[in-house]
Amino acid sequence: MISVAFPRTVVRTGAALFALWALSFALSYVPLGPAALPVAIGIAAVKAALVVAFFMELLHGTLSMKLTLLAAGALLAFLIGLMVADIATREPPPLVPFGTHAGRPTADLPTR
Amino acid sequence: MTTMPLEPSSAMPGSRAASPTYLGVDTTIRSWLLTTDHKRIGVLYLVSMLFALALGGFFAMAVRLEHLSPNTTVMSAMAYNRFFTLHGVIMVWLFLIPSIPSSFGNFLLPIMVGAKDVAFPRLNLLSWYLYMAGSAVVLVSMFVGGIDTGWTFYTPYSTYSPTAIPLALFGVFIIGFSTILTGLNFIVTTHTMRAKGLGWLRMPLFVWSIYATSIIQVLATPVLGMVLIFVVLDNGFSWGFFDASRGGDPVLYQHLFWFYSHPAVYIMVLPGMGVVSEVVTSFSRKNPFSYKAIAYSSIGIAFVGFLTWGHHMFVSGMSRFDAGAFGVLSMLVAVFSAIKVFNWTWTLKKGAIALKTPLLYIFAFLFLFVFGGMTGVAVAAMSLDVHWHDTYFVVAHFHFIMVGGTLTAFVAGLHYWFPKITGKMYSERWGVLSAALVFTGFFATFFPQFLLGNAGMPRRYYTYPPEFQALHLVSTVGSWVLALGMMITLVYLLHAIWWGPPAGPSPWGSRSFEWRTSSPPPQHNFTRTPSFELDPYDYSRPMPEEGE
Amino acid sequence: MTAGAQLAADEVSSQGEVEELEGHFESLEQQAQAARLGMWVFLATEVLLFGAAFALFISYQVHYPGAFRQSIEHNAKVLGTVNTGVLLTSSTLVAGAVHALRGGNRRWSSWLLAGTIGLAFVFLGIKATEYAKHFAEGIYPGGAGHFFVEHHERGTAEFWTLYYLMTGLHAVHVTIGIGVLGVLLVKIVRGRIGKLSAHKLEVGAIYWHLVDVIWIFLWPLFYLA
Repeated sequence: MISVAFPRTVVRTGAALFALWALSFALSYVPLGPAALPVAIGIAAVKAALVVAFFMELLHGTLSMKLTLLAAGALLAFLIGLMVADIATREPPPLVPFGTHAGRPTADLPTR
Repeated sequence: MTTMPLEPSSAMPGSRAASPTYLGVDTTIRSWLLTTDHKRIGVLYLVSMLFALALGGFFAMAVRLEHLSPNTTVMSAMAYNRFFTLHGVIMVWLFLIPSIPSSFGNFLLPIMVGAKDVAFPRLNLLSWYLYMAGSAVVLVSMFVGGIDTGWTFYTPYSTYSPTAIPLALFGVFIIGFSTILTGLNFIVTTHTMRAKGLGWLRMPLFVWSIYATSIIQVLATPVLGMVLIFVVLDNGFSWGFFDASRGGDPVLYQHLFWFYSHPAVYIMVLPGMGVVSEVVTSFSRKNPFSYKAIAYSSIGIAFVGFLTWGHHMFVSGMSRFDAGAFGVLSMLVAVFSAIKVFNWTWTLKKGAIALKTPLLYIFAFLFLFVFGGMTGVAVAAMSLDVHWHDTYFVVAHFHFIMVGGTLTAFVAGLHYWFPKITGKMYSERWGVLSAALVFTGFFATFFPQFLLGNAGMPRRYYTYPPEFQALHLVSTVGSWVLALGMMITLVYLLHAIWWGPPAGPSPWGSRSFEWRTSSPPPQHNFTRTPSFELDPYDYSRPMPEEGE
Repeated sequence: MTAGAQLAADEVSSQGEVEELEGHFESLEQQAQAARLGMWVFLATEVLLFGAAFALFISYQVHYPGAFRQSIEHNAKVLGTVNTGVLLTSSTLVAGAVHALRGGNRRWSSWLLAGTIGLAFVFLGIKATEYAKHFAEGIYPGGAGHFFVEHHERGTAEFWTLYYLMTGLHAVHVTIGIGVLGVLLVKIVRGRIGKLSAHKLEVGAIYWHLVDVIWIFLWPLFYLA
């Protein structure tokens, strides 16, 4: 009966998940510098995709179910993208407020 | 779909025993409070939200009264801050967001797709109770200090405001669940419960607008929920999570708040557009100029509306890169609304126009929505918004859309579907009079505010320079006319419920599916299920017989 | 509906389980499809709910990479990793439970489901241990606690506030999942849910997988990178 409960997809997906889990853990001890976060998230994304596709069986789901998840994911990606872009592209505030000139004529200040 | 009659007593033609309507089947209070009938739930929502509209209107009138004179008129500055905040919170979450979807959407969507009810009727009832519970919490918060942050709860002030922030925001949070449940129900109903033979491209356009609205409700509201959790805990425990002096970034709050609140305005306006599509086709006795354009543009608005939120943040300290991106995307979303307006106008052209009250409100909608929409495109231009942000110009813009658009469409829908919901007809003469008062009052209230804002009058300010008084005076008097029109409407509609002449199944001659059953409908929507293979806008054929 | 139509519309399995058709649906197939789509729509709301918090996390990490890196190093990596393994196992078990029920084997299904619930309790226990450890160190949400007197670098308080809020909210969802799966377990054991109504377990299992997926992303952000 165990094969009824655990068909090949479930066994293989479970095995893949544990393998990636171990990989993630091992890599956390390797100094990857700034690549550490993207790598960790990337592995997480693969694991999530496996759970969604094979445990939640979205591959066999209807188009509506797939579009539902796709819409949520796409909008979330846009939210995160533009929030991070905001922080990453903000210019530092001016040291001297515009309009004042700390002893120099205003015309000498760089214009935007 | 089975055509087996549901009430055996009315299966025989000419049978004397009429199947009970959804109103008459059981008249106890318990049957209403425990109902799972989508029509009754729609009525429960309708009655509750009219109270919310009245309360929000009261706060609006008080704010306008205060502005009769440049300095203190009738209230203190602290009271003023609370009044405009509560006006916003109540109007947005207790009225506008649920307005058309939870009342007319609930009542009509299953009928329009040929279903006996929504997919999850008990969740539907739960959504009303959540709406009532959340509203009650917000009302309680009014009496324990209210809130004074503006309806946008900007940080860091909302963290430190000594008012009832945690309570009020918790109330809004609960209402958010109501919104999500409603949207979820409508999406699943539309996808899985359409009658046999009813394809997506033959549903009434109102269904498309409610469906698109439901997508927004389901995807945007959770983000509001999360950010409200943060603000409530921030205020309650003084976290300073968004306080720059403690390492926080207040602009992040605004990103999350507006990620919800911009799509929220499309939650508010899309259902109104659905009403416009129905009334325009019925009262010009024509099919829409392009069904697909209206249907697809609804979905377009739903998705592109999510991409534009930063245009509320042009002066917040957001980066120029983001500002540029949001500016361009905001221009894009206007295209879909324009497509609809052109479609409606072309539908009316050479139609057999019946100048009845619902259509009068729709004419008002078309005029006011275009005004509001074009000023929306104007404030989406960052270079202009820098001057207009936080002035009465923006206030006028969004009131033209929310009141001139959504409320007008809501009242149009109220008149259009009044006979279907109650089985009675109202007085057309009083309808026309009220429409004239509402339109005139609205325009007098809000048009001067464009001029005020452009001249520099800031919003949410308790006092103003004396040179602005004349325009404020016009605006306040306008609000009295608007309120009078709305109150007269309430009176003659209530009168008609009891003493109006009975309306038949289709007093307007509309071909849409809800008119193919009796007014009011029987409990299970249809006595004999009609064929859903007929077109809801086909005026070239004669009106189908009941059950045809 | 007449009594005759009612019985015809219901289905009876060989084990005596009766799958009831609710009055507003046209068929059992429609009812099952509605339940599945409804769960996926609900999942979409959860993606955006937690997503908003993830957006805050990533934004503050861009603001304060140093403070976040230090805080991650301070976190209980081994406990978090074990917890990840616990949830992955629970997901595998519940997937097995669904397949078993579809195959008509209620006994295997209930044991696997019980195993899933047991692992959920283990997860909560480990989480509680972690929280207790952090409280003992003086780490509380909102930058409260003596830890933040020594570690006052900007961003540290934000990290730990997000940690408590996001893992706390996740733990609430685990608890709800225990309730949902528990109710399903009782119904399976009593024979009220079986092969014909396996979609009900499927829908509950999808919710549990979501809880797992959320943690799959929480783990690297708070413990690894």
